[in-house]
Amino acid sequence: MNDYFNLILVIYIVAAFFSLIFSKKHQLTNLIANILSATASLSLLILTALHLIVSTSSVELLRITTSVPNISLVLKIDNLSAFFLLCLAILSMSVSIFSIGYMKHYFYRINIGLFNCLYNIFILSMILVITSSNLISFLVCWEIMSLISYALVVYEHDQPENSKAGLIYIIMTHLGTAFLIIAFMLIYVNTGSMEIASAGQLLSPYLKNILFFLFLIGFGVKAGIIPLHVWLPYAHPAALSNISALMSGIMIKTAIYGLIRFILVVLGASTVWWGVVILVLGAISAVLGIAYALIENNYKRLLAYSSIENIGIILIGLGLSFIAFANQQMTIASISLLASLFHLFNHTLFKGALFLGAGAIHYATHTKNLEDLGGLMKRMPYTGLLLLFASLAISALPPFNGFLSEWLTFQSLFQILTASNQGLKILALLIVAALAMAGAMAAACFIKFIGIAFLGLPRSESAQNCREVPIPMLAGIGLLALPCLLFGLFPQIILRLIDRITQEYFAVSISSGLKGISLITNNPLIINESGISLLSATIIGIIFFIVFYTIIRFIGRNTKERIFETWDCGFGGLNSRMQYTATGFSKPLRIVFRFLYRPKRLLWYNKEGPSPYYHSDLNYVVTTEPVFEKYFYHPLAHSLKRWARKSRFYIQTGSVHIYLLYIFLALIALLIYNWVCLTIC
Amino acid sequence: MQTFLDLLSVLILISAFILTATKRINSYIKAFQLQSFLLFLATFTLGIYNFTTKGFLDIFILSIIIFVLKVIYIPRLLHNTYNRVAYKVEKDFFINIPSSILICAALVILTYYSLYSLDGALNIHIKFNLVNSLSVVLIGLFFMISRKKAIGQIVGFLVLENGMFTTAMLSAQGMPIIVDLGILVDLLTAVMIMGMLVFKINESFDSINIERLRNLRG
Amino acid sequence: MKLLLYVFMQLVLVLLLAPLVDGIIKKIKAFSQKRKGPPLTQMYFDLYKLMKKDTVVSETASWVFRTAPYITFISTLLAFMFFPATVILHSISFQGDIILAIYLLGIGRFFMVLAGLDTGSTFGGMGSSREVMIAALIEPALIVVLITLGLIAGSTSIYDIMLLNLQGNSFILNPYSILLFAAIFLILLAETARIPVDDPSTHLELTMIHEAMLLEYSGKHLALMELASVIKQLLFITILANFFLPTGWLGSQATPMLSFLLALITYFFKVVCIALLIAIAEISTVKLRFFSVPNLAAISFALAFLGFMQFIILGR
Repeated sequence: MNDYFNLILVIYIVAAFFSLIFSKKHQLTNLIANILSATASLSLLILTALHLIVSTSSVELLRITTSVPNISLVLKIDNLSAFFLLCLAILSMSVSIFSIGYMKHYFYRINIGLFNCLYNIFILSMILVITSSNLISFLVCWEIMSLISYALVVYEHDQPENSKAGLIYIIMTHLGTAFLIIAFMLIYVNTGSMEIASAGQLLSPYLKNILFFLFLIGFGVKAGIIPLHVWLPYAHPAALSNISALMSGIMIKTAIYGLIRFILVVLGASTVWWGVVILVLGAISAVLGIAYALIENNYKRLLAYSSIENIGIILIGLGLSFIAFANQQMTIASISLLASLFHLFNHTLFKGALFLGAGAIHYATHTKNLEDLGGLMKRMPYTGLLLLFASLAISALPPFNGFLSEWLTFQSLFQILTASNQGLKILALLIVAALAMAGAMAAACFIKFIGIAFLGLPRSESAQNCREVPIPMLAGIGLLALPCLLFGLFPQIILRLIDRITQEYFAVSISSGLKGISLITNNPLIINESGISLLSATIIGIIFFIVFYTIIRFIGRNTKERIFETWDCGFGGLNSRMQYTATGFSKPLRIVFRFLYRPKRLLWYNKEGPSPYYHSDLNYVVTTEPVFEKYFYHPLAHSLKRWARKSRFYIQTGSVHIYLLYIFLALIALLIYNWVCLTIC
Repeated sequence: MQTFLDLLSVLILISAFILTATKRINSYIKAFQLQSFLLFLATFTLGIYNFTTKGFLDIFILSIIIFVLKVIYIPRLLHNTYNRVAYKVEKDFFINIPSSILICAALVILTYYSLYSLDGALNIHIKFNLVNSLSVVLIGLFFMISRKKAIGQIVGFLVLENGMFTTAMLSAQGMPIIVDLGILVDLLTAVMIMGMLVFKINESFDSINIERLRNLRG
Repeated sequence: MKLLLYVFMQLVLVLLLAPLVDGIIKKIKAFSQKRKGPPLTQMYFDLYKLMKKDTVVSETASWVFRTAPYITFISTLLAFMFFPATVILHSISFQGDIILAIYLLGIGRFFMVLAGLDTGSTFGGMGSSREVMIAALIEPALIVVLITLGLIAGSTSIYDIMLLNLQGNSFILNPYSILLFAAIFLILLAETARIPVDDPSTHLELTMIHEAMLLEYSGKHLALMELASVIKQLLFITILANFFLPTGWLGSQATPMLSFLLALITYFFKVVCIALLIAIAEISTVKLRFFSVPNLAAISFALAFLGFMQFIILGR
């Protein structure tokens, strides 16, 4: 096991160095590096799946120690990290395959060798983050992951908005890291160990609360919890699509991994209100995230906001699990964690597919604006179909996997509703409403995405003339989109694996609710005495389809189908400008939620028409206010800047003597601190 | 009978919600009338029950008075006042309807929280009715705050009073009749005075929008 | 075998009853306007005729346009399968979860809305954009009502909720049920394109929602879409009828055949009652301005939430 794992790591490193060495030959390095990386990911997939099926205990994979105490690289794999590695492996395999075709777009425009090198190290760093069993190596890998993802976000640095996106990203992510460093130091000071292990007994409740907030903010920035989400909608559109897929698909989930690992395992989630905080933040992220996604016309930003929503749903499950765990209701805790992790897995699949699909659209049309698309379903039928699958899954519609995880989340909320005190009940019901609203708005959002981009008439030249993308790209998308259906019909496959984790933490197994994966109908997934079986529903649906299709064909056997133009009110010649636009599509919701979006519109006429009522040329600009940036981050940054500008002359006087004095004072202070510590302890 | 009373207390609460959801002054008065009718039904039921079991007639008499006063007379009085002042359709509320409905729902939660911890000998139905009727009081007050026109204030006040009456009826089986009568007479006077005030406001400001009263500060 | 029998009976029931209920509502409305109105069976003739007609498909449309009617119809039908007309029908073992049923309706809506966008017609886009707004506003109230019902019953299984109705002999008269009933009734009006939200009988472009999405459909596609929308209407009526209106005396299984027939008759009677209620609601209200629909949604949410509050105070 160890050797295989090390081999996988080596393959990634080889792929990275190979692409760096042969960086002049773009085709070759791209092909080889991606094939190597896909192979490594495939092996990782098999390895982690095997680990989850066979082994239950944690296995040490690699140990590199140094002479300096506490600085060592120890990699361990247990059920939780195996599960996250599984998600990573599926995603990175598909992304690598996709990249074989996708990067053609960028040959001789950017440095492919360096890109592939960074790409492989990025995957590697995420593997190391997930498997690190030592605070320092965790932190170092976390930082490497952040820095490399920054480099990848700004890779097309010739575009000014990318640098801005990168700047916001790196500031926010370092803010998070700062909180993590404080938390880790506090843990080390109080436990005297750098191991990531249960330290619940060694810490005082007071300290635990502080640590909880540090972890929440530290990981929350990476996860994109509202209001710490500001970097996400900038960074994802700036990065290339394969990188966005990796970032949204798995990188933001390393933060969820961190939350589970540090709050549940290390701190031992013993307080109810921790869960409540996470739950409420999750609900807010879910609703606001999708609300912002809905009005977005840049489809990559739309997907980025939708990631915030899904992180919200994952956090709802996680929060419920923590609440139940603190209340010693282990069955509820395990179902909630199951829901949370299952949704995480599903989100990896469909958001990966959607971002890759967005890459495919960009590859074919060279635009990121929904308003320039349209009619792609006829020109890119396979991409369209696969993205429709992924959209159905992310809108939580049966029979796709997204529905199942949302259903499980509803069921865990339902259990909290039946078995908790009054206050939590009301909260849980409000969360139910929030989740339902997020679900309906997600459907609206992805109807907009599919409907505007793929249906109707093309709205620009480039959409008119685009063609289907090459097979490796389709394969990459398909490897993520088709499992959405597969795991919707056979959720038992993955739920059994996740059950391992819940068994480990809560000592409760829900596998009695998972009845086999045989093809016989009516083998439902039973939670709370209510069972569903998407498989049987689908089979009955197909039978219905066959029956009714035959009947209808029989009744209408003498009819024929006529292809004719769409009704155009007699104007003659329907054109794409008469269609509903993406802006128009979301307008009703923009009006209803105007307190949230604060839309402003500008309308001005350029040319007089035949009468003052009919202008022949006009401009219409609608803008919405980014509330969090405007009312939280901008004032913060502004006052910080003002304070810095004012105070810099007090500190930075320009006199060398004063600077020497600073050093002197710092030394004296340290000596005094040391003396005080020595005398007290 | 308890189920029936519970149902009525819920319906009284709903009628308060209907009131917040309405826009026109006519509908305010109708909503108030509906609520008063429900209140009458509750009192009537209690009255009959008390008469048959204990032989007291006072709640029954009270219910008749309520019917005459709140269901027939006060609405008519309001209608008259309203007809006398010039009719103008204008936006009458500070907070839009969906938000005010949600705020009212939040008020119910608040009442629930503050009352649920009350323990002691309260049985569950009393607690239930207490939550509902106190919510009606709060909603009435909120209604008074959120409407601009003077008639809105009167109706809000009346609903508030209905809420208090319901509280007394459904959770304590009524107060001594003399107290109830006192309150009712007070109410009648208050409504009459306010009706006259509305008329005066209309005369001096050409509108019954009480925002205009701000002009009175020196 | 029993499963097959069940599916078959339920299918026959829905295909016979759904268009009829629509006819009943139309008839009642016609009476109120002193018209004679179309015969009750009009919709069957319409559907039959539509199926025998040629279909016209827009040249802009992709395969989504052609498959959407089938998917919408099948998913709505499938959702209805989970709502048996009587509990006795249900006892032939068919698992149904209320959230699944609602999300199955969601998939029908997803494709209907996509089809509205597919033809490139302005009306389609208009209808679609309005439909998703209404859905987004109504959905929280709907789920809250259903979860509360599940909470009362102890599980989100439709069977358990129906059993609850069987046991409680005057379920509708409970303080919380009346609130939930009112909430679902408002949701029904919004979901099935009834008058305060949408007018099913007009084709005025500026106001229509549901019809606007179907504007480009013809022939068998239109027939399927119409059928799907009446099935959805029957589904919501069934929720009201079977979760709220009493059928306590039908619990006895002593004479299965007789009690089954009786159950069907009472079911039909309850459906007619609710159809009457819908017709009255339609007659006595006017169509709301589109941006007043949030008011309706807020009211139904508040009702649902109050129902929940009453339940947790009062208990079962």
